[in-house]
Amino acid sequence: MSSQSIDLPQGTLDLLILRTLSLEPLHGWAVSERIQQISSDVLRVQQGSLYPALHRLERRGWIKARWGTSENNRRAKFYELTKAGRRQLEIERHAWEKLTAAVSRILETA
Amino acid sequence: MLHDLLFRLRTILRLRAAESELDDELRFHLEREVAKHVNSGMSAADALRRARLEFGGLDQVKDECREARGVSFIETLLQDLRYAARTLRHSPAFTACAVLTLALGIGANTAIFSVVNSVLLNPLPYPNPQELVAARQNDSLPNLKDIQRQANSFAGSGGLNISPMDFTGNGEPARVHAAHVDAGLLPTLGVKPMLGRWISADEDVKGGPRNVVVSYPFWRDFLSGDPHILGKGIRLSGNSYTVIGVMPRDFTLPKERADVFVSLWVAYPEGAPDRDVHSMHSYWRLKPGVTLTQAQAEIAQVDHRLAEQFPDTERERGTLLVPLHEWLVGNIRPALLILFGSVALVLLIACANFAMLLMARAVARQRELMIRASLGARNSRLICQRLTESTLLSLVGGAVGLVVAKAGTTLLLVLRPAALRRFDSIHMDARVFLFVFAISLLTGLLFGLLPAWSSSRGDIAEALRENARTTATGVSRSHLRSFLVTAELALALILLVGAGLLIKGFLRLRSVNPGFNPADIITMYLQLPPTRYPHIPLQNNFRRELLARVNSLPGAEAAMITDLPLAGNDVNHRVVIDGRPTPAVGAEPKVQTLSVMGDYFGVMQIPIRAGRDFSATDREGQQRVVIVNEAFVRQLLPGQSPIGVHIDWTRPNEPHQWMTIVGIAGDVKHFGLNQPVDPAVYEPFSQNDEAWRRWMTLVIRTRVPVGGLVEDVKKQVWSLDSQIPVSSIQSMDDLLAVSVAQQRFNMLLLGIFAGLAVALAGVGIYGMVAYRVNQRTREIGVYIALGAQHRDVLRLVMKDGVKLALLGVVLGLAGAIALTRVMVSLLFEVKPTDPATLIGVSLLLAAVALLACYIPARRALSIHPMTALRCE
Repeated sequence: MSSQSIDLPQGTLDLLILRTLSLEPLHGWAVSERIQQISSDVLRVQQGSLYPALHRLERRGWIKARWGTSENNRRAKFYELTKAGRRQLEIERHAWEKLTAAVSRILETA
Repeated sequence: MLHDLLFRLRTILRLRAAESELDDELRFHLEREVAKHVNSGMSAADALRRARLEFGGLDQVKDECREARGVSFIETLLQDLRYAARTLRHSPAFTACAVLTLALGIGANTAIFSVVNSVLLNPLPYPNPQELVAARQNDSLPNLKDIQRQANSFAGSGGLNISPMDFTGNGEPARVHAAHVDAGLLPTLGVKPMLGRWISADEDVKGGPRNVVVSYPFWRDFLSGDPHILGKGIRLSGNSYTVIGVMPRDFTLPKERADVFVSLWVAYPEGAPDRDVHSMHSYWRLKPGVTLTQAQAEIAQVDHRLAEQFPDTERERGTLLVPLHEWLVGNIRPALLILFGSVALVLLIACANFAMLLMARAVARQRELMIRASLGARNSRLICQRLTESTLLSLVGGAVGLVVAKAGTTLLLVLRPAALRRFDSIHMDARVFLFVFAISLLTGLLFGLLPAWSSSRGDIAEALRENARTTATGVSRSHLRSFLVTAELALALILLVGAGLLIKGFLRLRSVNPGFNPADIITMYLQLPPTRYPHIPLQNNFRRELLARVNSLPGAEAAMITDLPLAGNDVNHRVVIDGRPTPAVGAEPKVQTLSVMGDYFGVMQIPIRAGRDFSATDREGQQRVVIVNEAFVRQLLPGQSPIGVHIDWTRPNEPHQWMTIVGIAGDVKHFGLNQPVDPAVYEPFSQNDEAWRRWMTLVIRTRVPVGGLVEDVKKQVWSLDSQIPVSSIQSMDDLLAVSVAQQRFNMLLLGIFAGLAVALAGVGIYGMVAYRVNQRTREIGVYIALGAQHRDVLRLVMKDGVKLALLGVVLGLAGAIALTRVMVSLLFEVKPTDPATLIGVSLLLAAVALLACYIPARRALSIHPMTALRCE
């Protein structure tokens, strides 16, 4: 697994978290699992860096946290997207699409 | 933005909860991760390891989360503070040592700083004090008025002259300090009376009304604080004066002390117009925008005109203006700055000890720090934590230092010499507190950073290796420790040299022969009021009768003189010598003139070097005779037999009344033990023709207890005249002590600082050797097991300490030679590079250092090989 997976480019972690949380509220571990699953284990999130990112997003007001019960009946901290977070996700998604489109164009033509 | 702020605020307010939530959240993650791995078939232990590896350093992630929440700084600080307080409470010995060391250093600094603050930094208590200047020379009222009229640089000027006046109210007559002033004084200083008004210009004239303004203490103590005092009369030296004003409570004259203020023209009309009696201090206020240089240039022109106009008295004019503040503190500033510098060195030494304590503690806690480092705590985080601890310590040290400083300033106030006596207000103000806070904070940060930095360098692996064998602990740290010890010893030596020089100078000063025997002599000052003793015969009758009565008291041997040596007063005349070419008018040599009655030379035990003493027949109507001192002969009659020579004062427009020199008296240190002796002429009171010499000092050599005698003498005085105050009752020994109080003050303080420095440096080197013995217990045990003798063991453990001590002494000597030059002005007949002092204090410090090495080294001797081997 680790031989095929790539490290996340700088600054994309926030986007991935926002996107992941846009479907449903999740706790930290689930976020990391979900990212790996969806990316078919290609992307590897350094688990240690996930939490500072979550706290940073919470501080910016894009996600909010509440304590709930996990699927295995444990107390866990769930994060969900706020309205501002939804707007931010759109902005970042747009920026990302522009960026990747531009990069691919260059790769194809140059 | 608002959200951000609220979020941070909320987190700070619920710090503890946030912290445990963070813990819960991360633990949940790890549990899930472990469970996942177990489900995929791993063993529990492997799953845990794998989960931890994938997660990264827990401490580090926590730190990053706190940082991400944006509260990390305050949160961390609070957390560190709690942590530091807790760990310090758990090691009371260490805490006490560190706090005490710093408290001594900071306290001593604060005490000196509060003096420096009050004396050098505080502005003068007058509005726009930077405009105020003082004239270095005394001057006469007519000259002051002429300068004021002719010069444009000044917004105002005022002169004053402190003379004693007798206050006779109810109770014993009291001698009070009267300021004989001109009306310009108070407006120049910019102060107004608290009650009533100041003397106006049209009252400040010959024959003006007898008005008096009184000081607040005088009003409170002698006039019972009477709020309706204005317009009432009080008796001063036989005249009634109307009280027209009371000065504010906090008012003081720049340099003088005065109880009452009267116009010179009114109180002393016969003396006020004398141009040649230069007895007034003068204060000047520069007009806004005028510089001191401009004022000085203008006053020089006026001086020049006055000298041309009045050549016989004003030829040598040279008024020098100095800023008032400079005039007041100029004398004490060098001493204070040197003391301040010295005490700063003491603090440096204390700080070095503090740093070494912290280092020793860091070693003891190395394992704990290592574990935290391997758990992912970053270096910067660990350093921050230790800085918090050292700063907390230094702040507590500073607080305790304040207590030390309070005691210190009390001591300083007791010791303070005359030059500081004016500053009643030496106290701790906001600036002192700020100083303590700043100095404590700096100490904690700087000297906490030093060891923290040195012990946090290097990676964990290295630390682990280091810890595996405690015998070879950090080389860099050991270097730092050696450096600190050497520096401490060098600094201590510099202070010791300074103290040694001052002590030697002081001993030299005290061994100076004052020219008289001060033992068993009591002195008292009297002044005859002009109203009742206007003529010389009346004055002499009083003197003669008083002397006879005092001499009849059992055990008393009395005489009198106008101005006592070391009492700070003198009267000068210009002298001409019969048969010598007369110098130009106004350029005749000045000599000190003293009138005596009774066996003055016998009572004071001043030797008569040649000729004869005065006798009972040297009195009114007889040939006028004088005795001169040796300085007179040396300077004015060199290579000539002085006996029989005729001298007289300059007498413009009058024939000379020659006086014959009949004897030569030994030189007396009139102005202080460290001052040169001026030519002096003694004449019998009874032959003096100056009715203004109404004052006298009784000198009584006595073998009986002084207290009773003083009362007896007072009774005799009051049996002759019940309204004459007897004042300045002091022994000659006290006068001598007061005259060297400034030197004693410097010596004692620097001595205390040097002692403190040596003690601290001794503790420093002791600590280092003890620490090394502790560390090398095993090595020493092996050494002893292999048959090493006591001598070998001692050499092994003392070698480093002794080397550092010698290095410290050598460096200290170099530093002392470079630095003690600034002390020249404080030293009396001692060179700053006095070899005996340098060698003496070096030996002393070396001995202290050796002892400090030896005590812990002895412990090494008692190490038992087996215990040493087991202790690893």
